Amino acid sequence: MSMLEFTLLMYCYAALIAVLAISLYGLVRRPNILKKIICLSIFGDTANTLIIFLGFRTRNPIPPIVPTLTPTKSLMMEFTRRAVDPVPQCLVLTAIVINMAVLMFLIFLAIQIYRHYGTLDVRKVARLRG
Amino acid sequence: MNLEYTPILHVPALVPILAVGSAFALPLIHLVTKSRKVCEYFVVTITGIELVLTTIVLHLAYTSTKPIIYTFGAWPPPVGIVYEIDRFSALLGVLAAVLFFTAALYSTKYLEKDYGVEWYYTLLLGFEAGIVGCAYTGDIFNLFVMFEVLSISAYALVAFRKDVPEAVEGSLKYAIVGSVATTIYFIAITFIYGSFGTLNMADLAAKVRGLTFPVTGTALGNVHVATGIALALIVWAFSIEAALVPNHFWLPDAYVGAPVTFSAISSGAAVNISLYIIARYLYTILQGRDGPAAPTVEAVLIALVVMGCLSAIVGSVLMIVQKDINRLIAYSTIVNSGYIAIGLGIGTPLGIVAALFHMINHAVAKALLFFCAGNYVHVVGSRDLDDLAGVGKKMPLTTIGLVVGALALAGVPPLNCFMSKLILAQALFEANLTPLIAVIVFASVLSLMAYLKIIYNVYCRAPVKKLPEAREHPLMAYPVIAYAITCIVFGLLAPILVPTAIEPAVTDLLNTDNYIKAAMEIAEKLLR
Repeated sequence: MSMLEFTLLMYCYAALIAVLAISLYGLVRRPNILKKIICLSIFGDTANTLIIFLGFRTRNPIPPIVPTLTPTKSLMMEFTRRAVDPVPQCLVLTAIVINMAVLMFLIFLAIQIYRHYGTLDVRKVARLRG
Repeated sequence: MNLEYTPILHVPALVPILAVGSAFALPLIHLVTKSRKVCEYFVVTITGIELVLTTIVLHLAYTSTKPIIYTFGAWPPPVGIVYEIDRFSALLGVLAAVLFFTAALYSTKYLEKDYGVEWYYTLLLGFEAGIVGCAYTGDIFNLFVMFEVLSISAYALVAFRKDVPEAVEGSLKYAIVGSVATTIYFIAITFIYGSFGTLNMADLAAKVRGLTFPVTGTALGNVHVATGIALALIVWAFSIEAALVPNHFWLPDAYVGAPVTFSAISSGAAVNISLYIIARYLYTILQGRDGPAAPTVEAVLIALVVMGCLSAIVGSVLMIVQKDINRLIAYSTIVNSGYIAIGLGIGTPLGIVAALFHMINHAVAKALLFFCAGNYVHVVGSRDLDDLAGVGKKMPLTTIGLVVGALALAGVPPLNCFMSKLILAQALFEANLTPLIAVIVFASVLSLMAYLKIIYNVYCRAPVKKLPEAREHPLMAYPVIAYAITCIVFGLLAPILVPTAIEPAVTDLLNTDNYIKAAMEIAEKLLR
């Protein structure tokens, strides 16, 4: 791996972790429920991107499909070196569906909160204390 | 390879699949029949079948010498998703199934004034699938999926009474905090997969030891750094779900507006499952404080003890000042979750025995208390302790249950929680942590005062306002009586139960050799 590639990769990781931190900050500090939900969505998506990154091969990636039914040993060596890891993509696919369900549920809750309290500001939605 | 077809070996997989399948079938059944009765009978039947199935799994686990492995689609361990059930997880599965069965019976009368119960029962079955799936699975990503199933059902169950503002508010808090926790666990999976190259628990345990596993070989990256980061994230994520201080704040809010059946199951099963997951990572995968990852595990164990002590103290202090019966009992959950965390954090087998026994005892006693509170609130229509004044005299059965449950949780000698607290104190003594016994005693005394406050209010005080003349329905009284008897019986039979049921389960949790070997035997067939 060349110096440039390494720097770029590290930059991407740093950026992803920074986005994770910023979205957590927004989740905690923003009083508006919709903004909290947006931050939560960003948080989840960044985690997904992070795991997609793990499966990525920097040099000449190929899809994880063996092109023949009778692979030779050298072909398989080449394949394992270059093919993108499909497992993280499966994980992300599952996680995206789950995130969607949570997101839909949270949005419905936000609507219901607005019906009860007439506001989406968590400082005013505070019937529960202690 | 001579494989005989034995249908009973498919039972472990059937448990979550039946629950999820019937959860999806229930709205359709309601659509066709438009009958509330049919839904209720259906759910009680399904949870009853689940109870039988989990008991069969328990029997299989206790009679077999190694963990039961179920391979989905016959894909062997590191490649496919497997269920790996040892005695510890089988025991927790039965505990959850008992709670769900009684909760389903209890709900038939408890929710008679609510509408849309078919959705409630759908969520209840989803919740059951999630909890049992979490207990049985042998794959860390499947664990994530099952935990999400559990969590989403739980958020929605909290908000079931969506016309009550408190319920929606509590649900929102729980949903935001809970989904952050599950995403944090997902990031932990990222680190684990990035360095180990596998998602199977037995495979992970083998790689932590430096063994080679079929197909995945040895670990890819730096195992120690990744284990440290991942373990920190996992403990963070699941201490939120287990309501350990300082991550406890969502729990009282969620329990106030939720149906008491949810509160009973959540504090009895969901909290236990979160602590079970932490224990599984610490003791099976990373092999405890004597294993290869000793420094990391040691740090986490100290953190668990500290969080447990904080939970016990903060929970019991806040418990006394509550005026709302549900909220008071919710703080008691935080206290007891703290005891279990202390037991897991000691790191000795005796500590884990105490933790597991307390998980079971707490689940029984807490379900009892919540069902009693539900009986009162159902009749009076208010959760305020002042409004409940005098209602206990009209409902003697419930009051007897309340007294038994309260005394059990406070740790009065012949009852069940006393026995587990005694073992916990003994474990602390043996681990040279004697000062912490004072924390347990202090928290128990404070919570006894809080329980006496409920008993005084419902039984000894004169009614503040005119009370309705209703009694508890038999279906709401039977679970209370059954749990009260269980509290007493478990207390009296503790000297028999601990060596026969609890200690083998803890031995299985600590026996990583067996855990790896069972999976490896099946995996090696792939290479043949």
